[in-house]
Amino acid sequence: MKLARVRTIACKEWREILRDRLFFTTAFVVPLLIMLVLGYGLSLDVENIPFAVVDHDRSALSRDYVHRFSDSRYFDFRGYATSERALDPLLADSRIRLALIIPAQFQERLLADRPVAVQALIDGIFPFRAQTTKGYLSAINGQLNRELLSDYLARTRGLTPERAAELISPVRLQQRYLYNQAIESDWSMASGLLTLVLMVSPAFLTALGVVREKESGSIYNIYASTVSRGEFILGKLTPYVGVSAFNILIVWWVATEAFGAPFKGDPLFFFLASLIYVICTAGIGLLVSILVRTQVAAVLVTMVITFIPAMLYSGLLVPLESMGPAARSEAYLFPPVYFLQIAWGSFLKGLGIDALWFQVAVLAGYAALLWTVGLFAFSKRPRR
Amino acid sequence: MTSPRSLPMGLWWRRLWVMTAKELLQLSRDPVLLIIIAWFFTADIYIIGSGVSMELRNATLRVIDADHSAASRELIHRFRPPHFRLQGEIFAHQEGTRLLDAGESMLVLEIPAHFERDLQAGRSVDVQLQVDTSNTVLGTLATGYASRIVAGFSEDRVRRELGLTDQQLAAVPRIEERQRVWYNPNQTDPWFMAISELMTVVTMLSLMLPAAATVREKERGTIEQLMVSPLSPFQILFPKVIAMTLAILGGTAVAVFLILIPVFQIPIKGSLGLFFAITAVYVLATSGLGLFIATLSRNLGQVSMLVIVVLLPMLLLSGSWTPPEAMPEPLRAAMVISPLYYYIELGYGILLKGAGLDVLWDSLLGLAVLGSVIFSFGVWRFRRQLG
Repeated sequence: MKLARVRTIACKEWREILRDRLFFTTAFVVPLLIMLVLGYGLSLDVENIPFAVVDHDRSALSRDYVHRFSDSRYFDFRGYATSERALDPLLADSRIRLALIIPAQFQERLLADRPVAVQALIDGIFPFRAQTTKGYLSAINGQLNRELLSDYLARTRGLTPERAAELISPVRLQQRYLYNQAIESDWSMASGLLTLVLMVSPAFLTALGVVREKESGSIYNIYASTVSRGEFILGKLTPYVGVSAFNILIVWWVATEAFGAPFKGDPLFFFLASLIYVICTAGIGLLVSILVRTQVAAVLVTMVITFIPAMLYSGLLVPLESMGPAARSEAYLFPPVYFLQIAWGSFLKGLGIDALWFQVAVLAGYAALLWTVGLFAFSKRPRR
Repeated sequence: MTSPRSLPMGLWWRRLWVMTAKELLQLSRDPVLLIIIAWFFTADIYIIGSGVSMELRNATLRVIDADHSAASRELIHRFRPPHFRLQGEIFAHQEGTRLLDAGESMLVLEIPAHFERDLQAGRSVDVQLQVDTSNTVLGTLATGYASRIVAGFSEDRVRRELGLTDQQLAAVPRIEERQRVWYNPNQTDPWFMAISELMTVVTMLSLMLPAAATVREKERGTIEQLMVSPLSPFQILFPKVIAMTLAILGGTAVAVFLILIPVFQIPIKGSLGLFFAITAVYVLATSGLGLFIATLSRNLGQVSMLVIVVLLPMLLLSGSWTPPEAMPEPLRAAMVISPLYYYIELGYGILLKGAGLDVLWDSLLGLAVLGSVIFSFGVWRFRRQLG
């Protein structure tokens, strides 16, 4: 392998990237865009749930009850509906996601120390949101029930209100949130999204870079030249890895500056680990480019094999613990799982090489494997 | 060259038809692309539909039990599957920190000494739960379930202590909650995920395929041949859109009849005919955007990067993962110009909610208006470029 040839090819490739201004711009814009769009947009916080109420009682207590919901930041009161039938189109058109139906005699029964049933209709289109809504609903009702009960005990058993309140909740849960004390979902999302961005963009760049030559036919110049396949691949991919290395810095900056995610770990370690990850994902692009012949196919295939593992099998959105054993072991076959541990470990937990060496080693092994396979699968004498 | 207006109508339609046939033929001769399209409409939707579950299951939990009493054991054993998986007991606080750092446990529950004694004395006791919130969604879910378990434990003890029987409970003022979840009563995740993924696939392919078909002609130079032919720019472009729309509609039918209905058992509440009709409108609208991308690019590399640039904001502004009410105000306003927003509303409305046009007409109107604007814009840009 002659370094001069590698350098020549890398220079040629770099110049080609520079001259295709649109491609060059998008190479930097796409990672930035993924970060910003998904970081801001993919909010899984469930707040401001729009809801309507059918109040058959119209009493002071029923109004108080509705206030418990409308005063909460989790619910957004959109008004009273006249009847249950009026709720159907509101739910069907997604104008509201929750409806409460308060029965007649709501106040009368409560004052007479009797239970009263309140009906809640929840829009179940997105199950995760429906579950969360149910949780909020139970929390508000539970709080009210505790107040009613302690009030009742104070009245009937002659306890002081404080004593009654203590009596009805003997065990209290003190939760301590670690690593992200304020539950800033932006922090988790932004630092986790690095896994997606650094998986997708290097793979795209390399796959397109190689397939473009195949499709336009300029690759025959390489086939006919003295350049060996190792020199070609190394020279060809170096500029793309370089672009991606710069992108690491950009997305890092976005995560810490735009989203305010704390970086508690070792910057140098994190950069080197990311670089290994980028080399690994560029290898994925290389493999794709060897398998397909057209750029459309390259784009679609790359999209499939990068987006899905990075979104679904990394633990970013879908908890690994929730997966079945088969899916979980599948997840550990893909590199994003390991990088997500490095990213969250470095950003939020402040871990360094001593805790994360295994993940880095796996990624390095992965990179070596992909590049070796790519090297041997690339042929200067294609059958077609 | 005669102007298209003076042509007999028959010839005009014939040209359109011949070009459409040419596009379909070209597509059918690209087996790799066909396989990929088929993969998207079947395997991809299946994988996402069955794989993505946002539920919290088997959250790993360690316990530090400083009391070892009947009461502490009762509390610990309430942390059960499916939500929690008890990994066993540890004896030191530092050990807990180490396991949380390494990600081997997600939660550590600490029960203080004299837990049972204090409870029996009627004093309230604090138990501590440490939660790994590097994934905030999971962290909050786990905390929510844990506090429900502790509340249930409390409530049972209170009842036992006060000696309240079920009969007496009927004489206590309380709210009984009757929750009913509509449209997806058991909150089956695949229903949401599979439909959402189908719409994403439709969007991606309607952006990508017509744009790619157009730019490929540019890249290979065959556009020159088309330009010297008696075809108008519209007659060159529209057949590509028709052909790709047919392919995408075919794929959608495959997805609906082979995956959504038989595999995921999604009960189709509304009219499938209406669903396919709005899908056609949507694909036409979105391919207009694809044509616009095609006018900006000279090669397929540029097309694909631009497709991602357009696709991501569209997905974000669609309201499927993040509904309008959870968006910041400016983004909520921007949703009006995302065709996918209307398509999602219409799609879920028809498929799961069983809504008809009487409820959804405003979304359809929005989609139609937006679609015609986008499409005319795409064709106009192309015409200018060719002229």
